[in-house]
Amino acid sequence: MRLGPILDPAMPQATIDIAIKLRDLTVSYEEKPVLRSISMDVPKGEIVGVVGPNGAGKSTLLKAMLGLIHPDAGDIRYYGKMISECRQLVGYVPQTEAVDWDFPVTVLDVVMMGHQGRLGWFGWPNESHRKEAIDALETVGMAPYRERHIRQLSGGQQQRVFLARAICQKAEILFLDEPFGGIDAATEQAIFSLMDDLAGKGHTLLVVNHDLSVMDRYNQLLLLNQRVVAYGPPKLIATEENLRKTYGGRLSLLDKADSVLKDHL
Amino acid sequence: MNFLAELTFKPELWFFPFTHLPEGLWTSVLVGITCGVLGCFVVLRRMALIGDALSHAILPGVVIAFLITNNTGVWGLLLGALLAGLMTAVLINVVSQKSRTKEDSAIGIVFTALFALGLILISNLPRGTHFDLKCFVFGIPDAVTMEEMQLMAAITVLVIGTVVLLYHSFKLVSFDPVAAAAMGIPVMFFHYLLMGMISATVVAGLKTTGVILVVAMVITPASAAYQLTNRFSHMLILSGFFGGFSAILGMILAFVINAPSGPSMVLVATMIFVLSMLLSPSHGYVFEKLRKYRLRRHIDGEDVLKAIYKVEQSGENATGERIGKQAGLPLDYLTKLYGDLLREKLIYLENNITSLTDAGRKRALEMVRSHRLWESYLVDRANLDPDKIHIHAEKLEHAHELADEIDRTLGHPKKDPHGSEIPNAGGKD
Repeated sequence: MRLGPILDPAMPQATIDIAIKLRDLTVSYEEKPVLRSISMDVPKGEIVGVVGPNGAGKSTLLKAMLGLIHPDAGDIRYYGKMISECRQLVGYVPQTEAVDWDFPVTVLDVVMMGHQGRLGWFGWPNESHRKEAIDALETVGMAPYRERHIRQLSGGQQQRVFLARAICQKAEILFLDEPFGGIDAATEQAIFSLMDDLAGKGHTLLVVNHDLSVMDRYNQLLLLNQRVVAYGPPKLIATEENLRKTYGGRLSLLDKADSVLKDHL
Repeated sequence: MNFLAELTFKPELWFFPFTHLPEGLWTSVLVGITCGVLGCFVVLRRMALIGDALSHAILPGVVIAFLITNNTGVWGLLLGALLAGLMTAVLINVVSQKSRTKEDSAIGIVFTALFALGLILISNLPRGTHFDLKCFVFGIPDAVTMEEMQLMAAITVLVIGTVVLLYHSFKLVSFDPVAAAAMGIPVMFFHYLLMGMISATVVAGLKTTGVILVVAMVITPASAAYQLTNRFSHMLILSGFFGGFSAILGMILAFVINAPSGPSMVLVATMIFVLSMLLSPSHGYVFEKLRKYRLRRHIDGEDVLKAIYKVEQSGENATGERIGKQAGLPLDYLTKLYGDLLREKLIYLENNITSLTDAGRKRALEMVRSHRLWESYLVDRANLDPDKIHIHAEKLEHAHELADEIDRTLGHPKKDPHGSEIPNAGGKD
């Protein structure tokens, strides 16, 4: 199986930093494998779309990569480090539906939370932390909204605020969970160009997305259905066959093998 | 209520109530403040049922501690309650994670089981020992001892100190536990810390309200504060204040109307909550009505401007009666609207004739433009019958911020569906 994305041959490969390296990542819930032997290399500055149907293991992959669940096997490295050694390097932008938008916090409050990992349990942010948070808001074009309550934001603005939190965290690797839920096409484009900007500044972005409509906007595409169906530039791998493999039902033989093995045990 | 019965109403107590009232009042105030602060986390994390669960589930802990130490010494009881509280939290987690039982059912199963266990333990207490279940369930504030008051004071200081020290971590963990965990903050530890603090507060304050009503002290002041503010810190402070205030006012109320104090405190807290529901600036009923009234008045004012413009165009004298007829508004209301428009310098009056100022004319033209653009849009894009669009456009025209966008979308139409000219942007004729 091909591990790395298909790279531009003009670019000397030795100089490319690998931001994310997955090797044989396997995760199961209650003895049922959800992810099987996921391997991929993501070079620095890439925007990778993780695409697959419901139940393909997208959010499990995200949780495992954030170090929130323990994989059964395999290895996850960020610039060669394990997640436990570099938690602040990895920023998380939650799904809009998962956020409590009635929580009494302002835009700036949310962005300031990006500091907490470094500040530690007892940490209180100071004026310079505040300035950094405002800078992060500038980066995403949301500084004028900093005193607003989060309920008063549109869908695209909500995404920007959480991106700003990840920037404030000084995360170099950003995970976005379904960022295009419930926003219109124009906002989607705006978010993409913001992601392009961030990638240009050396951030590496991993975007989990269940629908295929924006597929070709990614630099690299990971077609996922419990295993890696294909990984590479959308133009090359988004073939009809690959998509059918991704969306056309489970791998029935593997599922059968599972139930057979369970009966034996 | 012995202590209440012994007291007769003394007006001087109204002025110096704190120096004369016993430990029960102080303990209640401390419980009110602490529950108020902790309640914010309970309310925001949607754990209201957990508050109920903890308060009931500490019963077996308290009884076992009572059995072992053979007295009602506060430290033993506190330890028993803490252990029982934490065990409840752990059991709820285990049940909801290791089975398909949802969390709310898991909470129900665990706390009723522990409460039942406590009841059986009580019935099997050795002869001669007396455990006052009624006090546990309903609370008897006048039985609060000096020692218990000191304990509650210590708990208040500890809880508030912990919340202040860990304020930002608590905020993050409550708002976005996944991100907090990803940042390396031990979310479960904070959860159990919170559960521990609630258990300690509940057991130390048990005699003030009893286990059934203590939940109200946790949830109600925090919910009231939640209505009133968009800042987490303000919510904590307000909620603590509401809790303490409910305790004081409840005690005074109980004393005046000769009622049990726990329920009085709860009713005061509920009253604060109802008031906050009505008066909240952003979510409250009263302000909502007021906002709607203001919007209505703003819209009617704009209609009056348009009416004046139309009357002027037709060459008639813009008297009050004529304008009222044109806009379809009663004269007394029109007078009020005139007041608004005069203040905003959109119109002026001369010999009973109303005229538009430059600003007023510009606004009126904006309205006409917006109205005609919306009519065009409704016919063009929404495929509505041109005869039926006027009434819709009358409403939509007040969204005149969108006029330029409609103009662009429709490709700068010159005339509306009825053949009337659409004025240019900027309000020029």
